[in-house]
Amino acid sequence: MFRNYLKIAWRNLVKNKLSTLINVLGLSIGISACMVILVFTKYESDFDSYHQRSDDIYRVVQHTEYPEETLYWNTTAYPLAEALRNDFPEIDIVTQTAGPASREFSVKNEQGEVTLYEEPYVLFADGYYLETFDAEWLAGDRNTALDNYGSVVLTEYLAKKYFGNDISNYGSVLGKTIMLNSKDPLVVSGVVKNPPGNANQRYNMLVPYEFFKENNPFFTSNWSGNYQGTTFVVLKNEKLKEKLESAIAGWKKKYLKPEDDRRISYFLQPLKEIHTETLYGSIPGGYTMPAGVLRTASLVALFILIIAIVNFVNLITAQSTSRSKEVGIRKVLGGSRFNLIFQFVLENIILISLTLGLSVLMSYFLINELNGFLSIINLKLHFGWEQIGLVLLIGGLTVLLAAIYPALVLSSFKPIPALKNMVVFKKTNGLTLRKSLIVFQFVIVQLFVIASIVVATQMNYFRNQEIGFSSDAVVTTSAPEFNKLEVYRNALLQDKDILKVSFGSGPPMGVNGYSLGTSFRTPEQTVEEGKSAEMKIGDINYLDFYDLELIAGRNFISNKNRFDEFIVNEKLLKAYNWTPQEAIGKRLAINEGEATIVGVVKDFNNHSLQYEITPCIILNWNAYQNNAFIKIADGSSRTLASVEKTWNGIFKNSVYNYEFLDDSMEKEYLVERLIFNGFTILSILAISIGCLGLLGLMSFITLRKTKEIGIRKVLGAGLLDNVTFFSKEFIFLVAIAFIIAVPLVYYAMNMWLQGFSYKVELSLWMFLSGGVITLMIALLSCSFQSVKASLADPVKSLRTE
Amino acid sequence: MLLELNNIFKWVNSGNRRIFLLKDINIQVEEGEFISIMGPSGSGKTTLLNVIGMLDNFDEGEYNFLEEPIQSLKEKHRINLYKKYIGFVFQAYHLMDELTVYENIEMPLLFKKYSSSERKALVGDMLDRFNIVGKKDLFPTQLSGGQQQLVGIARALISSPKLILADEPTGNLNSKQGEEIMELFKQLNEEGVTIIQVTHSEKNAAYGSRTINLLDGRMIKD
Repeated sequence: MFRNYLKIAWRNLVKNKLSTLINVLGLSIGISACMVILVFTKYESDFDSYHQRSDDIYRVVQHTEYPEETLYWNTTAYPLAEALRNDFPEIDIVTQTAGPASREFSVKNEQGEVTLYEEPYVLFADGYYLETFDAEWLAGDRNTALDNYGSVVLTEYLAKKYFGNDISNYGSVLGKTIMLNSKDPLVVSGVVKNPPGNANQRYNMLVPYEFFKENNPFFTSNWSGNYQGTTFVVLKNEKLKEKLESAIAGWKKKYLKPEDDRRISYFLQPLKEIHTETLYGSIPGGYTMPAGVLRTASLVALFILIIAIVNFVNLITAQSTSRSKEVGIRKVLGGSRFNLIFQFVLENIILISLTLGLSVLMSYFLINELNGFLSIINLKLHFGWEQIGLVLLIGGLTVLLAAIYPALVLSSFKPIPALKNMVVFKKTNGLTLRKSLIVFQFVIVQLFVIASIVVATQMNYFRNQEIGFSSDAVVTTSAPEFNKLEVYRNALLQDKDILKVSFGSGPPMGVNGYSLGTSFRTPEQTVEEGKSAEMKIGDINYLDFYDLELIAGRNFISNKNRFDEFIVNEKLLKAYNWTPQEAIGKRLAINEGEATIVGVVKDFNNHSLQYEITPCIILNWNAYQNNAFIKIADGSSRTLASVEKTWNGIFKNSVYNYEFLDDSMEKEYLVERLIFNGFTILSILAISIGCLGLLGLMSFITLRKTKEIGIRKVLGAGLLDNVTFFSKEFIFLVAIAFIIAVPLVYYAMNMWLQGFSYKVELSLWMFLSGGVITLMIALLSCSFQSVKASLADPVKSLRTE
Repeated sequence: MLLELNNIFKWVNSGNRRIFLLKDINIQVEEGEFISIMGPSGSGKTTLLNVIGMLDNFDEGEYNFLEEPIQSLKEKHRINLYKKYIGFVFQAYHLMDELTVYENIEMPLLFKKYSSSERKALVGDMLDRFNIVGKKDLFPTQLSGGQQQLVGIARALISSPKLILADEPTGNLNSKQGEEIMELFKQLNEEGVTIIQVTHSEKNAAYGSRTINLLDGRMIKD
């Protein structure tokens, strides 16, 4: 009996190839998309949760109040950790880190050949760090690995990179030496497994904090500065947090200068909130993912799953009504209701199993693709049994909904009307439900489509916005040795394809998270009245190189070891209501010293376009000119090779790196690009699921209306009449969906755009084109079936009844 | 006595009017009879057949099948009863298109407790008897109308029913095929199976031993 059921089930699925395909494909696309989004959001919300004490760990964050704004720092002054450790015995552990930062290493192999490496993720950490954060130790002792001044802990990845891929026993790496900056030997004291991708502080190497302290005595003893130091504390329980915060508020005056004590306050941020809180920004090598985005993503996942399941149930129910004859025969031949339910459920279980299998494969594939695609944010998504279990659970739910409901309906048919295909459905009810499901689907489809259009427009705006300086064909390289800058410049300019060269702290727009902050005031004002500004160091060619327009005063005449001239932007003048001419000759004090304003430049975008232009001061300082800007005539590999050759000839002890300025600037829009890609993919998904659903539903409706079409044709209706007859209703439904979707998407996109200082206006065309695109696609998938039905021979269609 | 209908009424309400489908039907059927039900379209022939076959309910009256009062039986019990004693043959054959000839004939057995070897033997016998062994792996759409109806009858007979209910069994067939089917019914009747058929044709009715004439739901002559 069971075999008979299986046989019938299988033959039915094969017989209705198209609808089987639509069902399986639609649902598996939905489930896989949902899976991938869930895996992604889980990954993103589980940052650093793998540490045993992750619930007890807090990062110390700093709020600095200025008259007009508050600055939020995820870093604190270096001496903070030690002071906390000494003065607050109730804190379990206090640990201090510096970085992650980039350093150069040389490793000598057994043949005595030295290879130079640049390692961007070097984290300086004290021994307490290893107590606070867990790692899987492959070699070495967690308790002592960072205790010695000259030791280093490598990740598996670096151990292999430095000492060969074929290491089987990591113990053999212990005791080997690598050279930092070609002068300081570090002895390997441990090897840990590569930390998971969802760790906030990314590192490939741990170097003792003592080492950093020894080499940076000024920074590490300075309470006023805020550099790259992060302090973590481990508390016994949550209640201690607020007590400690208020204790610190009263305690900090012991170390901070009075004016700093008034401005600065410290708070404890739970480790698990670091990744999803954007207030404090991201740390080098990391990124933050707003909790709102994760919530939206989960909601979207849920939506997609609902559309897919709704579609599936809709189609299965629709198709099952065409099987009333079968129900009739079985009942007449003595089949009980249970037999019939069993039959239909079994059939759908087969269908759903196929779907689930396909979903698991698809999700696996998609996740691998995504990992590669998003390698820029170090994504290491993992697809395991947990996820497969979730797929099965979703599948089970679908079985309940999609298999049992139609089975119950079908098996309740009375045999005689069923045989005559005269089963009366509660027409109005079923139809409104089905219609509202279609409307629901198309609301979501149009949400995604319109959102993609808005995001694309905004991205396009970013690309084409006038930024106030020229960034074309600019290559940046590092310039590690200050005394060789002129040699480097002259060597570069030997090449006729290299047009201009300039040195400075960074390009006009801050990229790669690198910018120098300071505060400014007139010498008459008090320190408290200072306002924050961005500081740039440029040589005398800087203005000309970037086409920055001087609107008053003059360029620098020369760079000095002790800077004495400022060029400022218009924005800064607003603080004092100076005209450009008035500003010339005025004195300004910044944290680093005092100088005279000699020039005013037109405002340029010194931050990426999400943000406003801020006051900016350019200094004629010899310090910090650690980047070279090279304008080339063409991007040919020959020119780039020539730059590399020149660089290697001059800076022998460092590793060559270059980047096109346009690429670096593009990276500032990484999150926006991710959102755009996400929406594009989701739109395509939603459209394909929605259209598969329409296609399936249409094929069912046309089947039921074969006779009606036959009669219409006999009475003289043409192809177009028939197609319109079918499409009319769907156009109406899509239109209703459009009306519902517009206010929702308007609200959401308006909110999203609020986050940008430079943004496009939402306009009617974005919404209309979204609606038209959806309508066209919906019509296309409808007409496929209705044209087929309309072309059928009316004599034949009338005879089938 | 195989079955007995006493004062059977069946109606539907349309608005505030009551339309009678069956009116005061009284029939006694002995085992081994071959009865034809005749009457114009809409006279209630098929309805009567469905009531006898327990596929349809009635609103008033008594129906005893093998001494069991059908009106007071539970649905499950009723299904068991017709599963065991009644076979149906339809004008439109009502074979399952997804199943082969063999599987179609086998189906009623699946709803009863037969082992697979018993089923094999029974279906084999039936295929032999109707000379359709060579067609057992074909699907219904690959057969002619007459052959399909043969399969329909074989399926009705597979569980050795006491009573065969046939609703215009030759209605979709040409006259030669129709004759063959009627001959088959006659032969079955001689073997002891009770047959009740609904028919339009006097010729087919002549195969039966008795004719019941219906007009507007009422018996006009017995």
